Amino acid sequence: MTAVGRSRWTSLLLYGSLTVLAVIWLVPMLSAVMTSTLPLSQTRQGWWNLSPADLTFGNFARAWHQGLSRYAVNSFIITGLAVALTVSAGSMAAYAYARMAFRLKATTYFLLITTMIVPVQIILIPMLPWFRTLGLNAGPQEYLGIALVHTAFGAGWAIFMLGAFFAAIPEDLLEAARIDGASWFDVFRRIALPLAVPGIVSFAIIDFVFVWNDLLLALTLLDRAHQPLTVGLANLQTPHLAQEDLVSAGTIMAILPPLLLFAALNRFYVRGLFAGATKG
Amino acid sequence: MASRPTTTVAPAPREAAPPGRRQEPRRRARRLERFAPYLFVAPLLAVFAVFYLWPALVTVLSSFFRWGLLRPWSPVEPDRWRFVGLDNYTTTLTDPSFWNAVLNTAIWLVVFPVLVVAFSLLVSILIWHTTRAGTVLRTVFILPMTISLAAAGVIWSFVYNADPQIGVLNAVLDRLGILDADWRLGPLELHPGAWLSNPGVLHLGVADVRLTNLVLIVPAFWAFTGFGVITITAGLTAVPYELVEAAKVDGANAWQTARRILVPALRRPLVVVGVVSVIFALRTFDIVYVMTGGGPAQDTMVLALLLWQQAFAFLDTPQGGQATAIAVLMSAVLIAGSYPYLRQLIAGRSR
Repeated sequence: MTAVGRSRWTSLLLYGSLTVLAVIWLVPMLSAVMTSTLPLSQTRQGWWNLSPADLTFGNFARAWHQGLSRYAVNSFIITGLAVALTVSAGSMAAYAYARMAFRLKATTYFLLITTMIVPVQIILIPMLPWFRTLGLNAGPQEYLGIALVHTAFGAGWAIFMLGAFFAAIPEDLLEAARIDGASWFDVFRRIALPLAVPGIVSFAIIDFVFVWNDLLLALTLLDRAHQPLTVGLANLQTPHLAQEDLVSAGTIMAILPPLLLFAALNRFYVRGLFAGATKG
Repeated sequence: MASRPTTTVAPAPREAAPPGRRQEPRRRARRLERFAPYLFVAPLLAVFAVFYLWPALVTVLSSFFRWGLLRPWSPVEPDRWRFVGLDNYTTTLTDPSFWNAVLNTAIWLVVFPVLVVAFSLLVSILIWHTTRAGTVLRTVFILPMTISLAAAGVIWSFVYNADPQIGVLNAVLDRLGILDADWRLGPLELHPGAWLSNPGVLHLGVADVRLTNLVLIVPAFWAFTGFGVITITAGLTAVPYELVEAAKVDGANAWQTARRILVPALRRPLVVVGVVSVIFALRTFDIVYVMTGGGPAQDTMVLALLLWQQAFAFLDTPQGGQATAIAVLMSAVLIAGSYPYLRQLIAGRSR
């Protein structure tokens, strides 16, 4: 675009203010990164006046060996399972809501959409005894249990976002296949699903970030052996123990997977949120 | 809602025309297909029913009973719970700690959405005006969005650290010579430096507004603004830049352009950001749990955390009923408050 009559001063003001804001925005991250890569003794003299020669990765190794590895593995299992379940059940249902007519469609759609608004707390309290009844309160079943809760809570987002992508497929394409005698399942699997892959990927990323970052459900429903990184961080975060080196290293490790995913698939992520924003 | 002409009825006449050998199984297949939509939605609805609808129902029902988590409410063991009618609600509504949490949550509900909407609008418009480095700048503001609130809380605990040798914020205050200052401006009391212990109080006569809540809102705002930037940027792509330039030629200044052209064009994304951040603010749990645990005393206690503590931190006290009462009240407020938005959302989709 051509800036009509924009003076040098306006430009300077524009870029200057944006740069200042961006730097302020990055300081907390920088603070965590520096604390995680410096020995504790150095951090205590202010991370901002230290030389690059002091940098170390020892904190990461120690945090990893002091139990963070287990939390990390749990995070990956829970997130992988939850995203797989939500995407598979969610894309089928989203397709039906976007493309088919059936009884109680409006009512069930409304109920599913409420999961986007109602706080998790509404199901949290009876969940513990309910898990016990279902046999999901011990051992590896806990992973399945919390993944299913995440699936239920992602249901609204799934049919809302994925529905937008399925609704965007031209009607003629699906109708042509139907006339050729393809069943609903064939149409879904061979035509709709491949066309919606970008949408499904962007939803999967958003769901991954969402599940990976959950603290409340994991804290409440899982025992120590099955808790993810977020709970591990909350446990580490006791100011009086003076272990900023371990805590910051753990934080960096906890935020890295979603961040890398974001960096690698930035396009998809933003597109998914765009779809939610503009079509909402 | 069900008016989309995609049912299995449409191609039927064609079906009758070519009588082939495969007609019999196909007809059976067609009959099976009538159930297809139900098979498509069944897995998700089953999970939803078992892990959302039923527990939510139990929450509502159990809010009328007296129980604790060591003796959980269960519909199959009626002798283990005691019906108390609306007692849990009246106890909750007359409990000062509940109203303290309501006040703190109200601070979140007012300050957080305003901050998010105003700041992300400002940043989005500023970036929209740039000709270079727009994507990089935008990424900086979107990046914290992928960070969990638990991690954001930890990261900001470093920033807020009271020791000026560790906390960058207090290091700055120390240089400026205002660390540990004690200011009083009318009803406002400020203690810069004591971020997480007692940064200040606003004495309002009927109630004291603890500024510690604002200190906690900042990390949430930092982590959430990316959503606003993405949403508003999406809206801005629909605004023709020529319109702004035409306004400029006509002598409008930046403020007038933003107010008269951009904000009206951005109504819908602004509403989305506002509503979503209100929902976010009422649900606040992670940041408070990680950074202060509701303290010091009850200064930063919010509803979501109060409910959690009543249900899970004191297993032996029979306050489960009160916790569920808070959950029901919170959900009722959220559903009632966002109902217009919800209806608009669903109407937009089923057109």
